Amino acid sequence: MASRIEILNEGGFRSDGRRQFELRTIEIDLAQQGQADGSAVIAHGLTHVLVSVFGPREARMRSHTMHDRANINVEISLAAFSTGDRRKRSRGDKRILEFASTIKSTFEPVIQTTLYPRSQIDIFVQVVQQDGGLLQACINGTTLALITAGIAMLDFVCAISGGVHSTSPLLDLTNLEENDVPNMTVAVMPKTQKVSLLTMDTRLHVERFEEIFRLAVEAGSTILVEMKAAVLGRSSRLIESVDSSTQPHGLGVENDNS
Amino acid sequence: MDVDDLENIQSSHSYNLTCPGESLTSSQSFMRGHGTYVDNEEVVASVAGTIQRVNKLISVKAIRSRYSPEVGDLVVGRITEVQPRRWKVDANSRQDAVLMLSSVNLPGGVQRRKLESDELQMRGFFEEGDLLVAEVQAFFADGAMSLHTRSLRYGKLRNGQLVVVPPILVRRLKSHFISLPCNVDLILGLNGYIWVSKHVKEIDQEGEQGFDAEAVYSNINDEIDIPTRSAISRVTSIIHILRAHFIPLTDTLLLETYEWTIEHENHTTDLLQQDFGEAMVAYISSTG
Amino acid sequence: MRPPSPSIPEKEFLFSSLKESLRLDGRTMLEMRTPSLTFGSDLGWVECALGKTKVLAQVEAKMVKPQPERPFEGTISIHSEISPMASSDYEPGRPSEDEVTITRMLDKVIRRSDAVDKESLCILAGQRVWHIRLTLHFLTDAGNLLDCACLAGIVALKHFRRPEVEVIGDDVIVHLPSERAPMPLAIHHTPFCFTFAFFPDASTPPVLDPSHLEQRLSAGVVSISLNAQKEICVLQKLGGVPLGADDILRLVDVSVTKAKEMHSFVEASLMEDWNGRNIEVR
Repeated sequence: MASRIEILNEGGFRSDGRRQFELRTIEIDLAQQGQADGSAVIAHGLTHVLVSVFGPREARMRSHTMHDRANINVEISLAAFSTGDRRKRSRGDKRILEFASTIKSTFEPVIQTTLYPRSQIDIFVQVVQQDGGLLQACINGTTLALITAGIAMLDFVCAISGGVHSTSPLLDLTNLEENDVPNMTVAVMPKTQKVSLLTMDTRLHVERFEEIFRLAVEAGSTILVEMKAAVLGRSSRLIESVDSSTQPHGLGVENDNS
Repeated sequence: MDVDDLENIQSSHSYNLTCPGESLTSSQSFMRGHGTYVDNEEVVASVAGTIQRVNKLISVKAIRSRYSPEVGDLVVGRITEVQPRRWKVDANSRQDAVLMLSSVNLPGGVQRRKLESDELQMRGFFEEGDLLVAEVQAFFADGAMSLHTRSLRYGKLRNGQLVVVPPILVRRLKSHFISLPCNVDLILGLNGYIWVSKHVKEIDQEGEQGFDAEAVYSNINDEIDIPTRSAISRVTSIIHILRAHFIPLTDTLLLETYEWTIEHENHTTDLLQQDFGEAMVAYISSTG
Repeated sequence: MRPPSPSIPEKEFLFSSLKESLRLDGRTMLEMRTPSLTFGSDLGWVECALGKTKVLAQVEAKMVKPQPERPFEGTISIHSEISPMASSDYEPGRPSEDEVTITRMLDKVIRRSDAVDKESLCILAGQRVWHIRLTLHFLTDAGNLLDCACLAGIVALKHFRRPEVEVIGDDVIVHLPSERAPMPLAIHHTPFCFTFAFFPDASTPPVLDPSHLEQRLSAGVVSISLNAQKEICVLQKLGGVPLGADDILRLVDVSVTKAKEMHSFVEASLMEDWNGRNIEVR
């Protein structure tokens, strides 16, 4: 599958004009969506994901309750129009099931589940648009949604994709690049710099691997800055509006329908 | 952006805000409270919100989260399940609350033993879907709350509608039963569930006297006239606007805004317009 | 229903012994159970055992019409379903989370890593290609089903021989094994899978090839699939307890040496089996 598009040209630019280690624009919207306890819309370039978190709440099935911790339930749906070729995936699709179980096991050790015994936390991920780095967007979105729901977590989880084009490492791949170069997704917990998720499905030499892996771990902290700014921005907006009714100054708006 | 920028973001706020994973202080000189954990002799935040310090206790309060109950709180809830000798009640908390058959007033008045016949007709008192107002009585070992309705002010809810707001917007007040002069009663549940209903005359008697089981467990609404109906929906719309702008509800605030809307609106549906809501909020913040 | 979890004393015993780098079956931390390969009389029939874990792999080939978008490529399909026969943890019907992981991993290791040259499976472009069907039967589960299944699958593919075919014009002639020696599949590389288990306590070192109990009590696994040429094919750590970057890189190094050992072991076993067969070509 040789593509005619140059992944990295001689001037050091990628097909969409980025440099090797440049990330795509990250847009984050933490406004409340409907009845969800926490929600986030995150966009990495053209990949858009909406995550809603419900809970901790009473488990709907008694068999799902655990006496000492919360049960986490993840469901993912990919919009049929999210890719170039319109395709409807069934809920039983193995790839989606794997995806959901990946997200679940990534967040299980991060959420302090023991604080919520006999409860259930539901995470619903809706993929609106995909252009590479889907897992990374899902994980970052879930982190933000969990934080807005006020669920206790040890740390942020920041995910980033990376790949190697012949010998040069690239970060934050688009769909085009993902199809062409060996790629991986890494999720880091920035406080300890520990890796909570790492997947790579394509062949890559051990030596090349180490380079891009270390780079991706480092890039996690850049993502953190964006995510933190969004969370703090939302917190201060809300706090300000709570206070504005008692002491008149600046007014924050969290709009239901924005 | 790098770390320096991050510090600027934080210092630009006058509030003490934090995020999960941020270390707050050393655990040797401080104790960890809610919303924090200890790692490597450091107290670290686990939720995003405001840092609160009481003497040596550091805790972080999440901006928005589920309701965390305390004994004595007034809550509004909805029955989700009828179980042997108990009801399960959804009260916007981490788990469903429990209402024991022994913690409700039963027909016949006076303190009396629960009979098997009471147990058999539990659905006659509360059915799945019924709304009720109750008080948090105690906690079970797993953190679930136990409710009671052993007061004439508590019990099944009728004649109105439910509004849900984030629990943080309901502050502790002297009384959570509010009567607005427009013939509307409000019950501000601390769990964020708010009951807006037609005004009923106060019941002054204390204890078990005047307890009318027929009326308390009735499922039939009283006659509500048109002005009351529109007053109820006006109050509901006001609460919706305040929720959207994240403004805490108090009795005085509700009263003031109600009067303001009466003055400025042409019709109740004006409250559904976004600009009308914004004008209302601007008025609130100007009066303080 | 979830299978009952191990009791607290069992758990404590395992954790405290692991902390002293002792495993319940006497292995060292990074020691695999010695795999044993039993070849059946048919080519492409392999039973692989890692200790008590047993997987049977079987390869068949048949001729089909190629997919219209890939007229020059043959197809490979992997069939694996964990029945309750392997262990009472598995239920028939809806695939469990473990099962999804194993199936997906097999797919990635054997199919997506291009272990088999698909173009060489083409007989007549757009008309006839070989369809290779790999079926895995999980016989018993005593931990680390994944590594055992990957090994069984890849060895079965290497062991398999397909009938020789001849194309004359538009006609395809299939020669019986008795007429012409069957052909081995064109294998690009031989990936092996290694699974490491981690435990909740960070000071406990990881173990390679976890036993059933170790796997149940682990707080996360890392599966690394690579070939003797030091190429990583699949590396996956799906959540679980977070690890330092250096820890992961150390595991990769360990797997590199293990893969080389495994490669020579597999080649030797295959050679031995092949020499034991008398192929008659008339």
